[in-house]
Amino acid sequence: MSKSANFDLKPVFDSFGLLMHGFGLAMYIAAVSIILAVALGIIVALMRLSSFAPARWLAFAYTQLFRGLALYVLIIWVYFGLAVALNINLAPITAGIVTLALLNSGYLSETFRSGILAVDRGQVEAATAIGLSKAQIFRSVVGPQALRKIAPATGNQFVDAIKDSAILSVIGVPELMHETQRLAQYYFRPFEFYTFAGALYFLAVLGVSYLFRILERKLSNKTVESKRFFSFQTSQIPNN
Amino acid sequence: MTKYIFDWGIIRDNFGALMNGLKITLYIAFAGLTIALILGLIVALMRLSRSRTASWIAGSFTQLMRGIPLLVLLYWIYYGVAAELNLNFSPFSAGAIALGLTGSAYMAEVYRGGLNAVDPGQREAALAMGLRRSQAFAAVIFPQAVRIIIPPTVNVFVGLLKGATIVSVIGVTDMLYVAQVVSLRTFTPFELYSAAGVVLVAITVAIAGFSWSLECHLGRGGNRV
Repeated sequence: MSKSANFDLKPVFDSFGLLMHGFGLAMYIAAVSIILAVALGIIVALMRLSSFAPARWLAFAYTQLFRGLALYVLIIWVYFGLAVALNINLAPITAGIVTLALLNSGYLSETFRSGILAVDRGQVEAATAIGLSKAQIFRSVVGPQALRKIAPATGNQFVDAIKDSAILSVIGVPELMHETQRLAQYYFRPFEFYTFAGALYFLAVLGVSYLFRILERKLSNKTVESKRFFSFQTSQIPNN
Repeated sequence: MTKYIFDWGIIRDNFGALMNGLKITLYIAFAGLTIALILGLIVALMRLSRSRTASWIAGSFTQLMRGIPLLVLLYWIYYGVAAELNLNFSPFSAGAIALGLTGSAYMAEVYRGGLNAVDPGQREAALAMGLRRSQAFAAVIFPQAVRIIIPPTVNVFVGLLKGATIVSVIGVTDMLYVAQVVSLRTFTPFELYSAAGVVLVAITVAIAGFSWSLECHLGRGGNRV
């Protein structure tokens, strides 16, 4: 028999600072990549809805590609593969954020598209009738109404990005999962460290969904039906 | 700067090995799906049961499994649980269990949605005819729910297949593992990872397309009332 496996959290508490540093980095990565993904997602959604056919095809191919790829595959392709082909040296964190942003933008663009399509046609017609330009219509009529519809799905995507950020550990980004692996090996306390990391991710996910729930409430004028507060959703499919 | 020359020969030489790895990726995704189909149904039935405790446990399980990254779950099982209980999982079974646990949380919601979508009148009629509750479930409610459940199940499978690519980190000799090992030897990561990526996208897009046509096909009878 190897060591007796007494549950011992002391090593975990001893390395609390390092773990929290990793946790902060994971949240930073998720936040930055989601902000980039929202910007990309809006562009791609507008391209898919444009009247210019090649733009539509390009956007369609983009969503299919990035929704079909696994994060792990894309990240090692970018960090190990592309770096060799282009003879560049990417910082792991840059490669990670770009990859996360690309994948999430594929999902978000579909959300945005359906959000924009869900706005009543009459709204656009009325706005056109009173003489607003296309850009004005999007900014002050369709956009705000679509925003209300896409807020929940965007929150789900943020939650997924937090979870997915763990995969960045494979290219050596010192985020929570990477630090946990390192420390679990050092102290040989894998159960304690991975349980703690799992709990941190879970709490982060819970917290972010709570914030988005408040945001949703702010955006909708109606009182939101009594949803349970401490619950969250992710996208409908396991997305890694 | 010299132009990078894409070496097709490397892909041609290792195509068989990559396909063998792909087989393992598919096996592990199917094993995960099988666990998810069974465990997910149990969780969904608990969630819908009248016992508040059972419902709470099932709800918490779903939330927990959706809130923990697959990679953390994988390491937790393969290294953590193994060390704590003095067990030894094979990489394959640890991967299948992790995928199955994650998948079951998603499948539970799929089942729940499908079962809730069946008109309650169907169940009442079945009970009024004298069927037992289990009979009503097996012969009346479930078959109707299946129509609604199948398309999202295919999507869950796609998610698990994408998730399955990560299991090479604990040493499952899947497609990505093959690509890594060969490119370490030949230093052609770009060619091999590109090939793996193209194969993966082709499969997931094909399955998604299949799911879409299935939805159209199964949806046809849906409006028949």
